[in-house]
Amino acid sequence: MDIEEVKRRAGPREFGPGDDMPREYREAATRMIQFHANSEIMGALIERPFIRQAPSLERKLAVSAQVQDEIGHGQLLYRAAEQLGVKTREEMLDELADGRGKFLNCFHYPLHSWYELPMIMFFVDGAAMRRQASLKRTSWEPYAHAIDKICFEEGFHIKHGEDILREIATGSKRDQELLQAAFERWWPRILQFFGPTDDQSTHGGFAQSVGLKTMSNDDLRNAFLNAYLPKAEKYGLEIPEYPRVEYDAERDHYEIENDDLDWDEFGEVARNEFPTGREQIEARARRQEAVEWVREAITDDEADAGVTGAAAD
Amino acid sequence: MRFEVFRQEQRKDYHVHVGDVHAPNAELATQYAQVMHARRKPANSLWVVPKEEIATVDSDELGVEMGGTTQKEYRWATNYETGEMAEEIEESQREQEAATEARDASEGD
Repeated sequence: MDIEEVKRRAGPREFGPGDDMPREYREAATRMIQFHANSEIMGALIERPFIRQAPSLERKLAVSAQVQDEIGHGQLLYRAAEQLGVKTREEMLDELADGRGKFLNCFHYPLHSWYELPMIMFFVDGAAMRRQASLKRTSWEPYAHAIDKICFEEGFHIKHGEDILREIATGSKRDQELLQAAFERWWPRILQFFGPTDDQSTHGGFAQSVGLKTMSNDDLRNAFLNAYLPKAEKYGLEIPEYPRVEYDAERDHYEIENDDLDWDEFGEVARNEFPTGREQIEARARRQEAVEWVREAITDDEADAGVTGAAAD
Repeated sequence: MRFEVFRQEQRKDYHVHVGDVHAPNAELATQYAQVMHARRKPANSLWVVPKEEIATVDSDELGVEMGGTTQKEYRWATNYETGEMAEEIEESQREQEAATEARDASEGD
């Protein structure tokens, strides 16, 4: 199939492993799904310390369930990417370990306290869910299938995140102040979640023309703000004056003053060069190495039993 | 030999298990599967899989915990009361509610 035919036929779940897709499509899809898979893994690692730091047993169980889900989403997505025939799962995991694999901007920053957790679990996951819901209509069918399962599970994550936010927001004065401080620290990063505005996006146009993406960055950001700004207000969070976010009632649209956001830092983050992001990547690489013996034990066991494992299919 | 048959009704649908056929080899199995499961009912594609190649695990096995067989309310969107939600979160919750209802209905059998 040539690229013109791909563009002509592009629609929800239109293409699968049985189709002869051009290199350009397969590479664009790999870039997008690998990024998504990496983000699931790196997001899970940021949340993981809060299994230990959770203030109650209920929270501990729920955070632990979320982290499990996200690692599972990463695995599903690597499978969907692998089927494009550009990179193997092992290559993608190696790229994540050696700093070549890219992932969401928000997961390059550490979480310092429980007060910051809902910034990820509610706002960032909420933004991710907005994007994921739009990907049920992506043109790469294996990706859409992975998204089906992810969306089924993700509703719980965001509601649990909101429940933590509600609990803190209705707590003591000190709780509320710490929450507001966390919000102010995270708000600009959350606004940058959907990347630069469409006129500056490098990959978005092609991905949309072949149906991989179904909504532009601007439209996604706008839909997210429509749903989540009222939530922030509901919990008494004060929206910082900068970066400026202006609501245009006539177009039902939020305009973001791009110059108020730190795009140099965003670029550094995107290139995996931001110091705290580098730390996260290296910490994950060390963890992967630390549990190498587990993978070896499983592989050795498979060899002894004379069966081929799921990894060989 | 026994082969399990999975039918996809239309393009883009999931393949769903519909039954099995007995055949001496895969070639005949795909023919029997067409006759049995894709002659009258609308079908776009069939997967015909040797039964012995399918690994199975059941929820009542020792040490196995599957969704719906455990007490894990904290894992469900319905466990948290947060008022009006974004439409995609509502959708996720509806899917979870449908899964719970399906489970409860089958328990009543």
